[in-house]
Amino acid sequence: MSEEHHITPLKTYLLVAGTLFFLTAVTVWASYIDLGSFNIVLALLIAGTKAGIVATFFMHLLWDDKKNATIFVGSLMFLAIFIGITMTDTEFRGAVNPEIKDPINKRAAFYNSLPLTDDHGYPLDKEKNHHEGDKDHH
Amino acid sequence: MSHDKSSPDHLYHHFYDVDQQYETSKLGMWAFILTEVLTFGGLFVAYTIYRAWHPDMFFNANLLLDVNKGLINTIVLIASSLTMALAIWAIQLNKRKLSLLMLFITFLCALGFLGIKYVEYEHKFHLGQLPGEYYSYMGPEVVQQIHDQEKIDSYIASNNIFFDKETNRLYTMNNPHIFFSIYFIMTGLHGLHVAIGMGLIAWLMVLTARGRLHAGYYTHMEAVGIFWHLVDLIWIFLFPLFYLIG
Repeated sequence: MSEEHHITPLKTYLLVAGTLFFLTAVTVWASYIDLGSFNIVLALLIAGTKAGIVATFFMHLLWDDKKNATIFVGSLMFLAIFIGITMTDTEFRGAVNPEIKDPINKRAAFYNSLPLTDDHGYPLDKEKNHHEGDKDHH
Repeated sequence: MSHDKSSPDHLYHHFYDVDQQYETSKLGMWAFILTEVLTFGGLFVAYTIYRAWHPDMFFNANLLLDVNKGLINTIVLIASSLTMALAIWAIQLNKRKLSLLMLFITFLCALGFLGIKYVEYEHKFHLGQLPGEYYSYMGPEVVQQIHDQEKIDSYIASNNIFFDKETNRLYTMNNPHIFFSIYFIMTGLHGLHVAIGMGLIAWLMVLTARGRLHAGYYTHMEAVGIFWHLVDLIWIFLFPLFYLIG
């Protein structure tokens, strides 16, 4: 064997774990602040940072032959393609055919345990006639 | 490290030397990790699609999850990742007893994780917060009275409306059964990985106790370590995506 396996110093591991605990606290703290749609972006940024730290240090990718890191990054790239191309379909369905824009339109089974409305969601008793006129679009 | 270059016991005949054997094993492990990323990836795609289609559904159903339990599990899993890394560190320095101790703590953390998960699942099973057609919970977190008359039509369009005879009012709920389908399949598959990881860690403890693993040969531990860190890595995403939204 030409070179020995890298032995990461104990200090590095403890520092890495400390950082992970700290970032966990940050992400919980950040979730209680209303940042609108930026909340999810921030949560994913922190999770991505944590994941990067785990892969780099705990999974030893930093000291490995780079082929291992290439495989891992490759898997993430394929995942990005998977998500990206799927979203180009699911996010723009309504643009082509408005009929299929809302995918969940079948009544879920547990609603059937509440036989209190008709097929269009209107109450079965006296209020039914009240709404009769405006359900034509269903 | 002092590899006996001549021909150590643990060198299989189809490898040129122990170094090549070690690198090959790790490459194989990383190829497996790739399939794991894509397996969970499919579920993350499902999550992304439904989250994009129905953000309200996630915000409402999220109220039924206990952030504290999720946070404790996150801390437990990060701690177990640290002890797993330290078990490898110890074996690299030939500290077998320390390595064994670290593996044992990792095992206990995994057990603790599944214990907390069991309490969570048990509670949800009891309340009927179940996936798909088995869902039956109608608590105030997911059921909202419709005050805005103009919104009624849009609720009717999505068919998520029902009428309560006793209060004589219209109510809606945002498909929590779909949220729980995604929640149970993702955390369930992750929990299965934790359980499998426990078995692998127990196997490592046996190998270490028997003296099969040492500073010159710890490939099993390195490979299981990579697997275990992946389990941690996936939970790092599951925690904010399920527990910290809304």
